[in-house]
Parts: sequence; C-alpha cells; structure tokens
Amino acid sequence: MSALEVRGLVKHYPGVKALDGVDLVVRPNEVLGLAGENGAGKSTLLKALVGLVTPDKGQILVRGESVKLRNVVDAANHGIGMVFQEQSLVPNLTAAENIVLGSEGAGVRRGIYRWDVMRRLAQEQLDKIGSHIDPLARTDSLTFAERQMVEIAKVLRIEQRSQHPPVIILDEPTSVLESKEIETLFAQIRRLREFASVVFVSHRLDEVLDVCDRVTVLRGGQSVGEVATAGAVPRELHRMMIGSTGSDDHYHENAATPVASDQPRLSVRGLSGKSFRDVDLDVAAGEILAIVGVHGSGREDVCRALFGAEPTTAGEIRMDGTKIDLPSTRAACAAGIGYVPAERKTEGMVGSMSVAENMTLAKQKARLTGPFVAPKKQAGLVDSWIERLSIRTPRRDTAIGRLSGGNQQKVVLARWLVGGDVRLLLLDHPTRGLDIGARSEVYRLMRELASSGVATVLLADSLEEAIGMADRILVMADGRVATEVPCPNGDKPSPLDLVKEMV
Amino acid sequence: MSTSVAIKPPGEPAAAKERTRLTGFMPLIALAALIAALTIADPDFLTQRSLTAAARTAAPLIVLAAGATLVVLCGGIDLSIAALASLSTVFLALWIPNLGGLATPAVILVAATIGVVQGAAHVLLRIPSFIVTLGGMSILSAVALVVSGAGTVRVVDDSSVQWLDLYVAGYVPMSVVVAVIVVALIAVVLKVTPLQSWISATGYSESAARLAGTPVDLVKIGAFAVSGACAGLAAVMLVSRQFSGGPTMADNLLLPAVAAIVVGGTAITGGHGSVWRSLAGALVVTLLRVGLPIVGVPSAYEQILYGAIIVVAVALTLDKSKVSIIK
Repeated sequence: MSALEVRGLVKHYPGVKALDGVDLVVRPNEVLGLAGENGAGKSTLLKALVGLVTPDKGQILVRGESVKLRNVVDAANHGIGMVFQEQSLVPNLTAAENIVLGSEGAGVRRGIYRWDVMRRLAQEQLDKIGSHIDPLARTDSLTFAERQMVEIAKVLRIEQRSQHPPVIILDEPTSVLESKEIETLFAQIRRLREFASVVFVSHRLDEVLDVCDRVTVLRGGQSVGEVATAGAVPRELHRMMIGSTGSDDHYHENAATPVASDQPRLSVRGLSGKSFRDVDLDVAAGEILAIVGVHGSGREDVCRALFGAEPTTAGEIRMDGTKIDLPSTRAACAAGIGYVPAERKTEGMVGSMSVAENMTLAKQKARLTGPFVAPKKQAGLVDSWIERLSIRTPRRDTAIGRLSGGNQQKVVLARWLVGGDVRLLLLDHPTRGLDIGARSEVYRLMRELASSGVATVLLADSLEEAIGMADRILVMADGRVATEVPCPNGDKPSPLDLVKEMV
Repeated sequence: MSTSVAIKPPGEPAAAKERTRLTGFMPLIALAALIAALTIADPDFLTQRSLTAAARTAAPLIVLAAGATLVVLCGGIDLSIAALASLSTVFLALWIPNLGGLATPAVILVAATIGVVQGAAHVLLRIPSFIVTLGGMSILSAVALVVSGAGTVRVVDDSSVQWLDLYVAGYVPMSVVVAVIVVALIAVVLKVTPLQSWISATGYSESAARLAGTPVDLVKIGAFAVSGACAGLAAVMLVSRQFSGGPTMADNLLLPAVAAIVVGGTAITGGHGSVWRSLAGALVVTLLRVGLPIVGVPSAYEQILYGAIIVVAVALTLDKSKVSIIK
C-alpha cells in the first residue's frame, strides 16, 4: 500500500489553474523526486499535502484512507511533515526549543519549561538523524546546514503523533547549501529512507536524479510522467518538464542572431559594492549575457547596481564608450537602461494602477505633449504595445493586478520599450512564476529585442534557462566573477560545467 | 482598441465596474445624505445664512486638508499642518504692518519652505514622516509662542487681507471660492502632468515606483511643500476672519483635517484618493461640527454622533477594491 497518494487534485486561483488533476504516489521507504518548472504546480501540491491549501477537487489518501487536511497540525497527525523552503526556525530560540516548538508535550508542565526534559526530547530527535548539534545552542549561531538538520529533527516529531512511518517533504532543501553540506544532507535523506518516505523537490535535476528512487514530473498542474532514476539523465527529465511540444526550440534559439561585438554596449570595470568586488563585464549590442551563481554570489546586487538601485564603492561603467554615473534609478533610466525586478508583484508593477499607467511610468515623455499628458497619444501608444506584445487585458485602464502573471510581466517589459530609447535591459528572473506558454513568449520577446540591438543582462530562473537564452554566461561566486563561458548556438555548455564553477 | 484585447478575464463583471464608478461619488453621496438628515432634523437648517456660515468655517479646513492629502497620497502623513498654520497666522499678523499686501505671498512662501525642510528631513534622513512632522508640530508651536510673545497679535489695519472676507455674488464667501480654486488647481495640475502617476505609484508601492525611475524623493518633498503652502494660505484665511494671529489659532484643525481626508475616501496607506474627495470630506466634517448644534443635538451626544458618523462615512467612501491592506 502507498504511504501517501494523491488522486486528481485540482486547485484554482483567480485566473490560474495551479493544479489540474495531479496524481502522485509515494511508496513506503522511498525517496520520490518531484520535478517541474516554475509554475508547474509543485509548491501548490506540497502546500496541499500539509494542509496549507485546500484543494477544490480530488483526494488525498494516507495509507489508503481518504483524508481531509485542514492545517499543518492535521497533516502532522497523519504523519506528513514538511521542511520549508524558507527556513521556519525562530532564530533567537535554542535548537531544543525550536525542535519541540508547538509539540512541547512533557517539556512543559503547568506552563513552565522543563529544560532537562526539553533537552532530552530534542536530543532524541537529533539522535534519530545522528546529528551532533548541541540542543542548547541558539539557532542563529548555527550554520545553514545545521539549521536544516534541526528542521529535519523538528519535522520528525510528527512520529509521536501518528503511529506510522512518516512522510517527510523537503522543499528545495539544497538551495542555500554548499556542495559539502549537500553531501551530508543526501546521506541524511538516505538514512531517513530506513524509517520514512521522503518527497524531495529541487531545481537541480542532477540532484534529483542522484538522491531519488523515482521522479514524478509535473507540468501545467498535471502529472505528465514518471522516471525511474537508475540510468536516467537530466536532459530526458528536462524534456518531460518543458513538454514535447515546442520543446525543441523552447528558448527560440532559431531566432537568435549573431552578435556584432566590435564595441561593447555596456562595459563595466572593477565594479565593487557591498556584496560584490572587482566585477568586470561587457555586453555587446544584441547580445544576451546571463549571470549565474548560487544564493549569495552577489549577482542580484550587481544587476541592481547597474540600475543605480544599489550603491557602489568603486568601478567604472561605460555605455557605448561613454562613462556614466548611476547615483539613482532615474539616472539609469535616462541613460537608456531598463530593469525588470525579480519581485514582480511588489517591485515590478504597481498593482492598483492601470495597465496604461504602469506601461508609461518610466518613460513619461512618450505620452506627453510639452509638459502635459496627451490622452490620445497615450491611448495610441499603449494600445499599440498591447497589440504588439499580445497582452491580454480587457481595457488599457484595467488595473494591472487583475491580469495573469505573464501578461503583467509583458506590461512591465513594455514599460522600457515605449520610449524607444532602451539600450540595455537588465532582466532579474523575468520568467519567475510564469507558466510555460508565458515563458516562451517572454523568451521570444527577448530574442526580438536582442535582434533589434538591445543588450541584455539576464539573471535566469534556472541554469537551463541561462544556457538556452544566453550568448555568453558569466559565473559568479562569492561576489566575484569566477569565469566566463561562451554559450553559442549549437555548442552550449552543460549545467554541470557551470555548477562546478558556481560553488 | 486592438483586436487582441477582447478577452475578458474572470473577476471583472459589469457589476464590479459599476460599483467602482459608484464609490467615486460616495463622498458626494455622503455629503448629500448628511445635508438631508440635518434638514429633516431641523427644516430651518437649509437656509442661505447657515449654509454661508458653514462654508466660511469650512474654507481653511478645505485648504489644509487638500494640501495634506498630497502627502497622504504619497504614503506619508503631515501632522504639522495645524501648528504651521498657527505659526503662519502669527507671522502674517506681525508682517502686515510692514509688508502690507506682500505679507500674504511671503507667509505662503515661508510655510512652503518649512514644508520642504520637513520633506527633505523625511527623505534624506530616512525618518518616518509621522515622526518628522510630529517633531515639526512641537517645534513650530514653540516658535509661534516665542515669536508672538505667547499672546494674540492684533491686526489693526487688515485692509490687505480684507478681500478674503468679501462675498462673491453677495452670498458665496470669497475664502470658499479661493479654497475651491486651490483644490481645482491641484487636481488639474496632477491630472494633466505625470505627477498623478508618480504620486500614486509612490503611495501604492514606493519600491516599484523607484525601480521604474520615478523621482520618488522629489515627489515627496514637493508634496510636503504644497502641504506647507496650503497651511500658509489657511492661515491667511483665519487672520482675515479674526483680525489677529495667535500661536494656537489653528491647532484644533489638525484632527478635523485628517478626518476630512479619510472621510473623503483617500486611503491613509497611500496611493488611492484625490483632493476632490478631501473637499467633500472637509464639508462633511464642518457640517457635522456646525450642523449638529444648529439642529439641536445635545452637546453631550454631539461628540458621539460626530465620531460614529465619521467612522461610518469612511466605511462608505473608501474603495476597498483599490486598497489591499487596511491598516
């Protein structure tokens, strides 16, 4: 009998079908991988499994019995626990307190902490995973990897609640870890398999294939296939993730045009700031340069610094040979630089304002006659870009917050195009949270812009995206440029080549 | 409209659109309802005399509220407006003997400058506007006390501000006409320039505005400057009525001004609202203040009614679909 089974799970959000009939089986004592692009429904599915999301339709079965999970406690009572992507420990409490938090049991008597009991309970948990962390150490004095062990120990408390082997869900557990720590984590996962089932989610396909017994692939809110990991390669998995239709040219590589690189459009020398040092980079007109790096590599800050949104301490920035200063975002706009932030909802757009206002926010001149807003000019301009980018919106004065993610992102991109003067685009995770179709349209748009001579700096959502889109890839580690990898069509590097340099 | 825009996403039925349009008129509806209620309570209320009196009282409040609305739209608050207006009445009373008619623009200019200083302190030192203007309120009150010698400054020859006390067409107080012109001017300037977009974007989401290259800092300082200038103009109106300036003359207008802004339906969290709404809000607040005693509400109940009506009015006028977080 399966430890956990999902049948035909459906979940709608306004305008989005996050889950569209997902099926999933987790067998006892196995490590099941969950793969899928952003927007494939992974996180919604995981949330449904721990009671954070109530599905509209479908069944969740625990050991063959249909259950309703209303909240995390419900899920824990059925033996399902999750280690969250954003770590959920309270930093100023001890490891022991965190481990028993919410399930103190004998650790508290008459409202008073019994430290000896707490310590013992915590130690029991830590022993299960063979960890040597001091239960009385303050959580914020622990490393990321140690904190993760504490989280796993904490999740294993659910064993006390149900008398069955638990199902432990690990959501992107490796994203903040270094390679050696990842090894430790994997050893831990193999250990967990002895007495539990594990659901493992990661962006890195090589990891998924390494640690899992079996992988279920999600796409567009559905389960599209299952792969036994023995002998499987990332390429195969990736093809399933992005789907066979159009997968051959998902990144519109055919539309890529050769770069005329006689003089760089953007030339940066020795740029230093809070989290990066001595960054040199060049981007030619029409070139797409991807910067890759792990969390903390400093690539986001470099990108923001190039838009005047992050202070720099040293270095020189030249656009088409002319030295420029970027004391503010306004100066960057004036220099023909556009920026699409990673956090679309809070930084990219103003949700309550209309499509038209959002689109003309940065390039006001495009809708003015003299100092005044010209309503007809604005309407014509906005409508023409709505049509060119096939933005689906009822009207140009509809609040942008009502649009789907992909259409919102197109408006945010259009913001830099309406002025007709953009020379450099900085795209920070431009496809984050978009579904496959919307991503593909953003890629197509990027190709079009490149062929019209716009230089692009891309912080991709995944290594695959970076490799697919870029003409050249800059690898950053610890705030410095580690290496540069050419990435021409037909001779693309593999993700593994890049990962080696990233850590 | 292009062909690709025909698809209607879910969640925007015609009824919702209708409701959005209706909430725009809510401040006016609230105002009409209030006048109707007061008239029913006392049929004599709806006379030219009491309306004229109410309007005259409302004028300084309208101007104060309209100026501070810009700061609120940017997501901040200006608590110093009343203290600044009080200080301005003192300056005006002191300067009229020497400057005559020039005293009025001089006071407005000085008040605007004080607004700029507060705005710059808020933006450059990154101090919350609430705190900057709370400190400003205290400092300005103290300065007013010192400058005035802690007493009323009489204006012997008030010919230079007398014009504000005239009546247009015999019935409409000049101060009200000026107040409406100021509101209209602010509204029109915002509407026909990028300022509307910049202010809304700053108020709804400052980081998004900044990352779109909006001159957020300048916009905020500008809003404080207008707020200050409006406080100065309100002071001129007060002096023209009272023939004197006083260090606490306008102090009791702070909370009514804030009430006027929110009763108009401007979101205190920023972004959504307009100066027209504050005009309607100021009229509602004034009518409550002036009208409740006129129609014979016992003074003990007056405050209860005032408070209750303000809260209900905000519930009616605030367009919740535009404001995601209610703080």
